[in-house]
This record gives sequence, structure tokens and C-alpha cells, in this order.
Amino acid sequence: MTREIVAAMVDAEAARKCRAQALKRRRWLAAFLRGAAPFAFLLVLWYVLTARGALPAIFLPTPAEVARVLMDMVGDGSLPAHVAASLGRVLVGLAVSVPLGIGLGVVMGLSRGVARAVEPVASFLNSLSGIAWLPLAITWFGMGWVSVTFILFNTIFFLVLFNTLVGVRGVPRIFEHGLLTLGGRRRHIIFQVLIPGALPSIVTGIRMSMGFGWRAILAAEMIGSTNGLGFLIYNGANFHQTDTIIAGILLIGAIWLVTDRLVLVPIERRTVERWGLVSRPS
Amino acid sequence: MAARNEAGVASRSLRIPWGMLAAAAVAVGLWGVASRLIPQSNLYLPSPAAVGAALLELLAKGILPDYVAESLRRVILATAIGLVIGVPLGILIGINSKVAECCYPLLNFFQSLGGIAILPLVIVWFGFTEKTILVAINYTVLFPVVFNVMVGVRSVPRIYVDGLRTLGASRLRIVRDVLLPGALPHVATGARLGMAYGWRALIAAEMLVGANGLGFMIFNAASFFQTNRIVLGMLAIGTLWVLIDRFVLRPIEADTIQRWGLVQR
Repeated sequence: MTREIVAAMVDAEAARKCRAQALKRRRWLAAFLRGAAPFAFLLVLWYVLTARGALPAIFLPTPAEVARVLMDMVGDGSLPAHVAASLGRVLVGLAVSVPLGIGLGVVMGLSRGVARAVEPVASFLNSLSGIAWLPLAITWFGMGWVSVTFILFNTIFFLVLFNTLVGVRGVPRIFEHGLLTLGGRRRHIIFQVLIPGALPSIVTGIRMSMGFGWRAILAAEMIGSTNGLGFLIYNGANFHQTDTIIAGILLIGAIWLVTDRLVLVPIERRTVERWGLVSRPS
Repeated sequence: MAARNEAGVASRSLRIPWGMLAAAAVAVGLWGVASRLIPQSNLYLPSPAAVGAALLELLAKGILPDYVAESLRRVILATAIGLVIGVPLGILIGINSKVAECCYPLLNFFQSLGGIAILPLVIVWFGFTEKTILVAINYTVLFPVVFNVMVGVRSVPRIYVDGLRTLGASRLRIVRDVLLPGALPHVATGARLGMAYGWRALIAAEMLVGANGLGFMIFNAASFFQTNRIVLGMLAIGTLWVLIDRFVLRPIEADTIQRWGLVQR
């Protein structure tokens, strides 16, 4: 008798879990459809506006033409090359600037003297938008990927620097003191208190600098490079290839969406959650 | 630097920032030394004296004030238009929660596609003209404003709206007395973000399209290897943004947040 009751309870529990999962999947699907609906609407609008040559192709090509251009560029390998060039520069920029920015930020946070000496100059250079460095960079390094990546270095370095500084300054002293009473040395303070404590700020800084940096690199590629997504769409403008331009723009938007929503936001959320600190929603 | 009171908000009194001036003087000194050590310094790192000479020359010719005025005019115009159109639009979208939810990803997408990504398309439509620059910059400023105003309207606690409605207020009254003041900090944030993106996009657009303005000036100077003019332009761009941000944007933001008692930071 008991065995049957237990079996029935287990069945009921399993059924409930199954239903809960199905409900969750349905909710997620509903949310996704709701989010995608305006884009679908825009796509339909685009199709209607350009159908039957209502608008000249040079002004707004049809979705079919843009799709065809995308396929062609993927087919002959030029599109992956451009995307790889742009993303590669972003990765190089991040790999160099983020450690440097965090390092200098920690040093400035630890030493009041260094901070007072460096902060005014760094603050001014922070206000100088990345693209303003381009003519100087071209004079120094010539046209090409070095100048373009240099723009990215600047943008990311200063933002990460200041966010690290703010984060380090915001770590409560009691953690530092606690570590010292347990016999910790300076390197323990840096790596076990300051950097983890500043991590939410640092990650916010990285996310912000990606926002500015992505724009800066597109502009830099338009002016000073012969490959990359920025170059692709600007070159299209010079030849009035509106379909290439729109294909490039859609790709740029899609890459940013994917990077932001699937890479940056989860990282931000996980560091914030993990360290139990609340950060400002952006 | 303005003195800071307890809340960390700049108060109105001005004290001469000796520390900052000293640090700046040291930086300029180091710059002069470095420029003397580098070979071909006129090309790679012009001395502060050379940049000063460029400043005097361009002031005398009237070029620098003209270019500064052009750039400022464009960004201020774009900000004004962005606010005039963006705030009502943001409120309209934000009032209805279904519409807001629908438009959120759309606005996010177009906000991320800054003016620079749009620029080639606008060039095809309007050519290499002033109109192109204005359209691109207005677009850049508009979306952050609309987006932030919408978020601001959505973040006003419903209890205020409901409270006013129980007292018989019309929809217009609710917008004027609850939604608009409640969203004001977000309007300020949106304006600040829009202006930051817009200023950067403006410099880039002037490099590509313009025939005047600071971006054009530094890019043109690079073609003629007049590095002292490049550095001068960069200093002007940075200084202008620091001035705008510190003396216009931040006080406005501080005033709205303080005034409405909504402390976020």
C-alpha cells in the first residue's frame, strides 16, 4: 500500500517538474517572440517600401538584394576576413589595455602621491575621444592596423583605469585591515582584497569602453585602414553600393548585440552576483 | 576645482586648483623635454612652444575660433533637437508598458548603431554635405535620449500615478506632474550620454565629410604633416569636452537629482 502511495507521489513530482520546465520554455519563447516582433515588423515594412521599385535602389535596396550581397561576401571569403580583422583588433586592444589599466588603477589607488600626479593628465586624456587620436596615430604609425588598434588602446585603457580607481577606492578599509592582522602582505591585499573588490567597477568599465571602443574602431577603419567592417561600409559609400552598406550596418549591429547580451552582460552579472555587490544598472 | 560638499556634489564656490595646475605644469615640462630628445620632433612630437605658435597663428587667422564655433554649433543643435523630439517621444513610448516592452530591443539596437555606422548610408543619401553631418549627429543623440526617457518613465513608481488618478487627474496632468519630473534624472543621463556619443561621432564625421570643424582641422593637418596643429586640435577637443561636461552637464544632472530628492549615486 505504502509503495503505491510513494510511487504516486514520485510520479506527481516528476509530472510537476515536467510541466514547470515546459512553462519556462514557453515563457522564454513568448518573451523572445515579443522582442523579435518589432524587428519582424521593420523587415516587413522594409519589404513593402522597396517592393516593385517604389524607392530607387540606390536609396534603399530590397531585403533580397542585401541578402544576396551578404551571401556573396561570405562565399568569397571577404566578409569573414573583414569581421575577423575588426574583432581581432578589438581583442588585441582588450588584451593589452585591460591589464595595463587595472595595474595602473591599483597603483594609483594604493598611492595617493601617484594618484595626485597622474590623475589630472589621465582625466584630460580620458575626455579626448579615441578618434581624436587618429591623425596623430597616423603620423606616428602610418595607415594600417597599428593606428587603428592604438585608438582602441586609448579608449579602453583610460576608461578601465578610472573605473578601477573608483572601485579600488570604494573597497572598505576593514577588509584590508583584517588581512593585515592575519599577517597578509601587500601583494595579498592587492590580489585578494582590492582587485576582487573593484571587480564590478572594472567589469562595468570594460563594458563601457567596449561601447565607445567599438564605435571608435569603426570610425578609425573608415579613415585609416583597408580592411575591417568600418572600411567595408565606407568603401561602399564611395561606390554608392547601398546594398553593401546596409549589409555591413546590419552585421555591425548584430555583432554588437551578440557581444553585449551574450558575453558582456553575463560576465557583469556573474561577477556582481558572485561578489555579492550591487552595481548600477546601465 | 569646485569644492565638494558631503553629498559629493560640486558646490558653487571656485577654488584655484593649485595641485592640478602644478601637475599640469609638470606634464607640460616633461612633454617639452621629451620633444627635445626625439629626433624630427616637428613631425612626431612638437614641443609645447610649437603648439603655442600654432595656437597664436590660427587665432590670428581666425581659423580656430571659426572651427570651434562650427563644431560646437553642430553638437549643441543636435542636443537641442534630440531633447525636443526625444523627450516627448520617450514619454509616449514609455506610458504604455506593452509598447515600451516592444520597442525596448529596437531602441537598444539602433542606439548601438551609432552615427558613425550610419554615416556611409547618409553619405549615399545626401552626399558630402553639411546635411549629412547634421543627420548623422542628430541620429546619434536622439536614440540615447529616447531610450533613457522611456526607461525613466517606466521606472516611476506606479503609486504616484495611481495616487494622482484617484484625485481625478487627467492623463496630461499625470504626465506633467508625475512622469516628467520622475523621469528628469533619466532625461539628464540620456542627454549626457547622447552628447558624449554625439561629440565623438561629430569629430569622426568631420574627418570624413566636413570642410570645417575641429575634426576636419586635425585630419587635414595630418595630410600636411603639421603635427603641431594636430596636437593643438586635440587639446582643443579635450578641453571643450571637459568644459562642457564639468560646467554644463554635470551640474544639470546634479541639480535634477538633488532637487527631486532621488539619490542614485
